[in-house]
Amino acid sequence: MKKASLFLIPITLFVLLSVFLYKGLYGDPRQLDSTVLNKPAPNFALPDLMQPDVIYDPSIFAGQVTLMNVWGVWCVTCAVELPYLTELSQQGVRIIGLYYDQDTDPDFGIKSIPTIQKEVAAKLAQLGNPYEFNVFDVKRDYSLDLGVTGAPETFLIDKQGVIRMHHIGDINTRVWRTKIAPLYNELIAQ
Amino acid sequence: MKKLILLFVLFTSPLWALEEAYTFDDPVKQKMFLDLTEELRCPQCQNQNIADSDAMIAHDLRRKVYELLNEGKSREEIVDFMKSRYGDFVSYQPPVTPLTIWLWLLPVIFVIGAAWFVFTQRKKQVNDFDEDVLAKADSLLEKEND
Amino acid sequence: MFAELGHFSLVLALLMSMLLSVYPMWGAYKNQVQYMALAKPLAIGMFLFTAISFGALVNAFYTDDFSVAYVANHSNSLLPWYYKITAVWGGHEGSFLLWILIFSIWTVGVAVLSRGIPQAMVARVLSILGMVAIGFYLYLLLASNPFESLLPFYPVDGRDLNPLLQDFGMIIHPPMLYMGYVGFAVAFAFAISALLSGQLDSTWARWSRPWTLAAWCFLTLGLSLGSWWAYYELGWGGWWFWDPVENAALMPWLVGTALVHSLAVTEKRKIFKSWTVLLAISAFSLSLLGTFLVRSGVLVSVHSFASDPTRGLFILAILGVVVGGSLVLYAIRAPQLKSIGRYEWFSREVMLIGNNLLLTAATIVVLMGTLLPLVHKEIGLGSISIGAPFFNQMFTYLIVPFVLLLAMGPLSRWKKQSAKAIQKQMLIGFVISVCAALLIQASYNQMTYMATLGSILSVWILVSTLQEIMQRVAKENNKTSSSTTWQRLRRLTPSHWGMVLGHLGFAVTLIGITLVSNYDQEKDVRMRTGDVVEISGYVFQFNGVRELTGPNYYGHVGIVDVYTDTTLTEKITHLEAEKRFYPVQRSSMTEAGIDSGISRDLFMALGEQLNDGAWAVRIYVKPFVNWIWAGSIIMALGGLLSISDKRYRMAKVAKVKQRLSGEQTATATSSDVLATKAQGQA
Repeated sequence: MKKASLFLIPITLFVLLSVFLYKGLYGDPRQLDSTVLNKPAPNFALPDLMQPDVIYDPSIFAGQVTLMNVWGVWCVTCAVELPYLTELSQQGVRIIGLYYDQDTDPDFGIKSIPTIQKEVAAKLAQLGNPYEFNVFDVKRDYSLDLGVTGAPETFLIDKQGVIRMHHIGDINTRVWRTKIAPLYNELIAQ
Repeated sequence: MKKLILLFVLFTSPLWALEEAYTFDDPVKQKMFLDLTEELRCPQCQNQNIADSDAMIAHDLRRKVYELLNEGKSREEIVDFMKSRYGDFVSYQPPVTPLTIWLWLLPVIFVIGAAWFVFTQRKKQVNDFDEDVLAKADSLLEKEND
Repeated sequence: MFAELGHFSLVLALLMSMLLSVYPMWGAYKNQVQYMALAKPLAIGMFLFTAISFGALVNAFYTDDFSVAYVANHSNSLLPWYYKITAVWGGHEGSFLLWILIFSIWTVGVAVLSRGIPQAMVARVLSILGMVAIGFYLYLLLASNPFESLLPFYPVDGRDLNPLLQDFGMIIHPPMLYMGYVGFAVAFAFAISALLSGQLDSTWARWSRPWTLAAWCFLTLGLSLGSWWAYYELGWGGWWFWDPVENAALMPWLVGTALVHSLAVTEKRKIFKSWTVLLAISAFSLSLLGTFLVRSGVLVSVHSFASDPTRGLFILAILGVVVGGSLVLYAIRAPQLKSIGRYEWFSREVMLIGNNLLLTAATIVVLMGTLLPLVHKEIGLGSISIGAPFFNQMFTYLIVPFVLLLAMGPLSRWKKQSAKAIQKQMLIGFVISVCAALLIQASYNQMTYMATLGSILSVWILVSTLQEIMQRVAKENNKTSSSTTWQRLRRLTPSHWGMVLGHLGFAVTLIGITLVSNYDQEKDVRMRTGDVVEISGYVFQFNGVRELTGPNYYGHVGIVDVYTDTTLTEKITHLEAEKRFYPVQRSSMTEAGIDSGISRDLFMALGEQLNDGAWAVRIYVKPFVNWIWAGSIIMALGGLLSISDKRYRMAKVAKVKQRLSGEQTATATSSDVLATKAQGQA
C-alpha cells in the first residue's frame, strides 16, 4: 500500500505550473533585458552622416544628457516618431541619431553615401529634424555592440556617458511621459 | 590614418552589398560556422537560429561570426561576445545556474527515484500470497510466454 | 445565411454535450438503463451538429463569403479551391472548430464501437468526454467564434492564406495531428471512469488499449508529417527544431508510447495500475497543455497563432478544471488501487516499466526545456533560451539505456528472466551492431562518436527483433514437432507483429536520424549560370533562372542539373527551386527543389539575387533522411496491426460472452473468466 502523500505530487506540480502559466499570460515573452544598462557606452569611432570627415567617439556624451535614437529612412515607425522627437528637441532635449542602414532590401544594397544623404535630408525636411547630428553606423557594428535588434530604438545616456535606459519601439507622448521623462529629469538634475 | 581608410572605404565600396555565402578555406572553421549559426538565436525572430533567419539582425550576427572566426576567435569567445551584447537569450544552450541545473538534474533524479521505488515495492509484495494460487498463476503464465 | 446556421448548430452541439455529461453518468451511478442508453444517441447528436457547423464553415470558405470575419482574414478569391478548404483550419478559430469536430468523431466512435464493454462503463466514458467537450464548445462560442460576422460592412476580398500554409502539408498535417492529439481523450476518459467507479481490473486495460493505440498511430503520423513538411517547405533542410509547438506535440507522443506499453503490462500482469492511470491522465493533459501553449502567446514560436490573454485565460481555466480535477480524483482514488502481481527484478515487466520511466524522463526534459524560460523570466532572472543543443544532448543520454532495455525486453520472460539465458543473445547483438557501425563509418570515410553510437543502437534493435522472432518460432517446436517454420510463423498473432513493426520502425527512424545528422553536407554558394559545385560525389551545375507566375504569386525558378562528375556527361537529375512573392500578403517564400531517394536526398534552395547577377544557392546532400519518416510509417503500421488483433474485436468478445453466460449484461466474474480464456488463446 503506497503512501497516500505520493499521489499528491502530480496535482501539486500541476498547480505550481498553472501559476507560472497564468503569470506568463500577462508578460511579453519577446521582451529582452538590455545588457548595456548602467555601463558606459561602448567605444566607437564613426563618421557623421552628412560630414564624413568628422569622426565621433564616446566623448560626445560627456557633460550632457543625451537621447540616442537608432533609425533609418527605410523604417516606417521611425517616420511616425520623427515629428514627436522634433518637438522634444525643440523643448531642449538633446537628441542625436545613430543612422542604421538596411542593406537587405535589394533597392538599397548598392546605394552610395551621397544617395543616402539626400534621402535623409529629404525625410528630415519633410517630417522634422530632431537630431543635433547623425552618427553613421557604417557596418552596423556599433548597433550590435549596443544590443540593437531593429529600429526604432532609443538609448538614454547620462552626463558621464553611462547608458541608463534602452527603449525598444517608438517614442510618443505616453511613452515619454510615463517611461522616459522621469529618469530624464532625474539625470538632468545631477 | 584611420580616418583616411574609413573615408576611402566609405566613398569607394558599394554600401554593404548583399552578403551571402560565407566560406572558409579551413573545413574546421566551416564546421564551427555552421554549428555557431545554429546555436545562436536571432534576437528578434519568432524562435529561429541565425542560420535560418532572413532578418537584418540575423544577417549582421552571421557576418560578425564570420569576422570573428577569421580573426581566430574560439567558439566560447564568440558565444561570449554575443551574450555580452544580447544576453543569455541569444544562445540556445542554456547557462548552468542554480535554477537551470534542474534541467539536467530532475530527469536523472526522477529515473533513479522511480526505479528505486519500483524495486522496494517489489520487495514488499513478495510476502503476501497464497502459494496454491501463485502456483496456478505461474503455470498460466508459462503458457503466456509462448 | 449558412454561416448563421453553422453558428446555431454549434450551440446545439453544446447542448448535446451538456446532456451527454449528465444523463449517462447519472444512469451509471443509479444503475438505470434508460439513462445510460441515452449516451449513444446524444453522442451521435453532438457529432452531427458539430459536423454541420464545420460544413457551414467549409461552405463559407468555398463560396468566398467574406461577410464572415474569419473567412475574410484567411482566404482570398484567387486562392485555389483546395486551399480555400484548407484555410478553414489555417487560423485559430477554425482550427479549434476542427479540434472539436475530431473530438466529437472520437466520442461517436466510442459510442458506436463499444459492444463488448459493459454499458455502465461506456456511459461513464461518454459522459466524461461530454464534460470535456462542454469546455471547448463554450470556448468556441464565447471567446473565439469562427462565425463572427463583419456585416453590415464587409471587404471585397480577403487577406489571403499565409503563403507558407498554401501547401499539401497543410491539407493533411493538422487533421492527422489533431486525430492523435484529441484521441488520447478516450484513454483519459476510460481512466477517469475507472477511478470514479472504483473498477480497475485488467479488462479496463484491455478496453483502453485499442483506443490508445489508434490515437498513438495518428499522432505518430501527424508528427512525422509535420517534420517532413517543415523539411521540404522551409527550405533549410531541417526536420525538427525543438520549437515549443513541436515539443507540445512530442510530449503526448512520448507519454502515449509509455502508456501503450504500460497498458500491456497492466493487462497481462495486473500491476502498475495507478501508474498506468496516471499516464492516461497525463497524455491528454499534455495535449491540453499543448493547446494552451500554442494559442495563448505565452511562448515564442514560429507556429503560434495570434495571441490574446483572454483566450489564454479561458484555455487555462479548461486546463485547470480538466487536469486539476482529474489529478485530485487521482490523489483520492488511486491509493485504493491494488496491484497484486509478483515479479523479479530481472523480468519483462521491469524492463517495460524501465523504458516507461525513461520515456517519462524524456517528457520531463522536453517539458522543462520548453517551460523553464517562462519560469526563469517570471521569477525575474531574465531571458534565456533552451533549444536544440540542450534537447539533443539529453535525448542522446537517454536513448542509450532505452535501446538496451528495448533490445532485452521482447527477449525476456514475464515475471522472471534468467540473466544467463539472455546473455548470449545480447552478446551476439552487440557484436553484430558494432561491426555494422564500423562498416557504416567506413563507407562514409568519416568517424564520429555520435554516428557510431546511433548506428550501434539502431542495428542492435534490428538484431534483437530478429532474435525474438527466432526465439518464438523455436519455442513452438517443443509442442509439436510436425509443424514447419512457416506454419509456426503464421501462428504468431497480429499483436506480436505489431510489436515487431513498432520496434523495427523505431530502429529505421533512429538510423535515419543518425546518418543525416552526422553525414549531411551543405554548401551555400554564389552561382552564375554555368557555375559548378561538387558535394559528396555529386556535381551540381547552376543553369540560370527563369520567370514564374502562379495563381496568386509570381517570382523566379532556379534550375540546377546534377551529374556524376565534372565532365557533365552523365546526368542524374534536374532540380528546380522557386522563389515566390505573394502580393496580397506581401510576403515571399521559397520552394526547394528536391530529388528524393532511398539512400539520399539532393536538396536545392534559391536564395537572393546578388548584385553581380549571380544568385545565392543553397545545396544539401542529405543521406537517408527519408528513413526518418519511413520509420514512423512502419511504427504506425505496427500500431494498426496491434489494433486488428482478434482479442480487441469487441463484437466477437460480446458474442463469446453471450454464449458463455447466456446473459445480456456482463458481470464481473464472467469478464474474469473471459480474460483468462482470452489469455490462454493469445
